[in-house]
Amino acid sequence: MKRHRKENTMLATRALRLVGKRAISTSVCVRGGHGVAKVEDYALPSYYDRRENPLPDVKFVTDLSPVQKSLKEKEKGAWATLSNEEKIALYHISFKQSFAEMNKGSNEWKSVVAGMCFFIGLTGLVVLWQRKFVYGPVPHTFESEWKEKELQRMLDMRINPVEGFSAKWDYEQKEWKK
Amino acid sequence: MAHPSQLGFQDAASPVMEELLHFHDHALMIVILISTLVLYIIVAMVSTKLTNKYILDSQEIEIVWTVLPAVILILIALPSLRILYLMDEINDPHLTIKAMGHQWYWSYEYTDYENLGFDSYMIPTQDLLPGQFRLLETDHRMVVPVESPIRILVSAEDVLHSWAVPSMGIKMDAVPGRLNQTAFVTSRPGLFYGQCSEICGANHSFMPIVIEAVPLEHFEKWSTVMLQDA
Repeated sequence: MKRHRKENTMLATRALRLVGKRAISTSVCVRGGHGVAKVEDYALPSYYDRRENPLPDVKFVTDLSPVQKSLKEKEKGAWATLSNEEKIALYHISFKQSFAEMNKGSNEWKSVVAGMCFFIGLTGLVVLWQRKFVYGPVPHTFESEWKEKELQRMLDMRINPVEGFSAKWDYEQKEWKK
Repeated sequence: MAHPSQLGFQDAASPVMEELLHFHDHALMIVILISTLVLYIIVAMVSTKLTNKYILDSQEIEIVWTVLPAVILILIALPSLRILYLMDEINDPHLTIKAMGHQWYWSYEYTDYENLGFDSYMIPTQDLLPGQFRLLETDHRMVVPVESPIRILVSAEDVLHSWAVPSMGIKMDAVPGRLNQTAFVTSRPGLFYGQCSEICGANHSFMPIVIEAVPLEHFEKWSTVMLQDA
C-alpha cells in the first residue's frame, strides 16, 4: 500500500516535474531567454515532428485550456458531430506540425548556392589581384616563339608517339591529324 | 616528356612501362566501377522518401559484400604481383651505369670498360637555347644504346634523392651508403626526361635526368668522345 502510493507519487512527481520543466522553459522563452541555462533531460519522453516516427511519445499540448478540455470531452462522443475546425483543433492538441508542414522543403538551398558563388567569385577576384600585383613575370620560355620551337622539337623527337602527343601529328601533311 | 596540361601517363618507352600502363587501366577501371556503384547507391539512399526503421541484419548481403571485395582484391593483386616479379627477372644487362645523386645534380659512371664519369647539371633557364625545355634539359645526358638491357645502380653522395624516368616506369631512391639496382630496356630511340623524386634541399626541383637512347654505334662514338674530353 505504502509502496503503491510512493510509486504513484513518483510518477506524478515526474510528470509534474516534466510539466514544470516545460512551464519554466516555455516561460523562459517568453521572457526573452534571460534565465538559467536549461539542460534538457533527453532521457525523458519528448515531443517531435518526424515523418518516420508519426506518433511521438507525448502530446504536444499538455496543459489544456478550458476550451480544449471541453473539446476533449466532446471527442469522447461520436466523431461525426465534430466540425472540421474542431477536428483540426484536436489535431493541434496532439501534434505541432502537419505532415505537409514538416515535410515541406525550404528555400535554404538558394542561400547556400548564393554563398558558394559569392565566395568562389571572391576567390577569383583575389587570384586576379594576385596575378596583377603580387606575382612577377612568367619565364621567357612561355613566349609564343619559344613555345612554337618547343612544339616543333617535341614533334621532331617523337615525344609520346604511340597514343599521345606525336601520334596526333600527321608527319606527311605536316598538320594535326583530323 | 609530358605535353602541356597532360593528365595521364606518358607513352611507354620500355616494356615494363607498357605492362604498368595496362595494369593501371585494369585497376582504374575497377576503381571507376566501384566508385560509380557507390555514388549511385549514395544518391539513391539520399533522394528517397521511403524509410525502414526495422532492419536488424541480413546474412546474404553481408556475405556478398565481404566475398566480392576479396575477389576484386585478388583480381588486382595477381596482375600486380606478376609485374612486380617481372621487374626483378634476370635480364643479363649489356651495360651497368651508376647514377649518383648529389646536391643538386646527378653524376653518371660508365665503368664497365673504361672509367667514364661525368656530371649532369640542369641548364639554367637563362642559358637555354630556343626550343629547349625549361627545368628539364641537362648539359650532359645519360646516353644508352637503344633496345639493350641496362642495369642502373642508384646511390647518393649526400642526402636522399630519387632517380626517376616516368616514360620508362623507373623510380629508384638514391640512398647514401646504399646501392639500389634497377634495370630497363628502351624500346625506341629518343630523349626521355625525368626529375629528382625525393626532396633533397633547395634545388630539388632543378636536377633533372635525361636519357638519350641511340643506336649502338652512336653510343660507342659518344663514349669515346666523352672519354677524350674528360
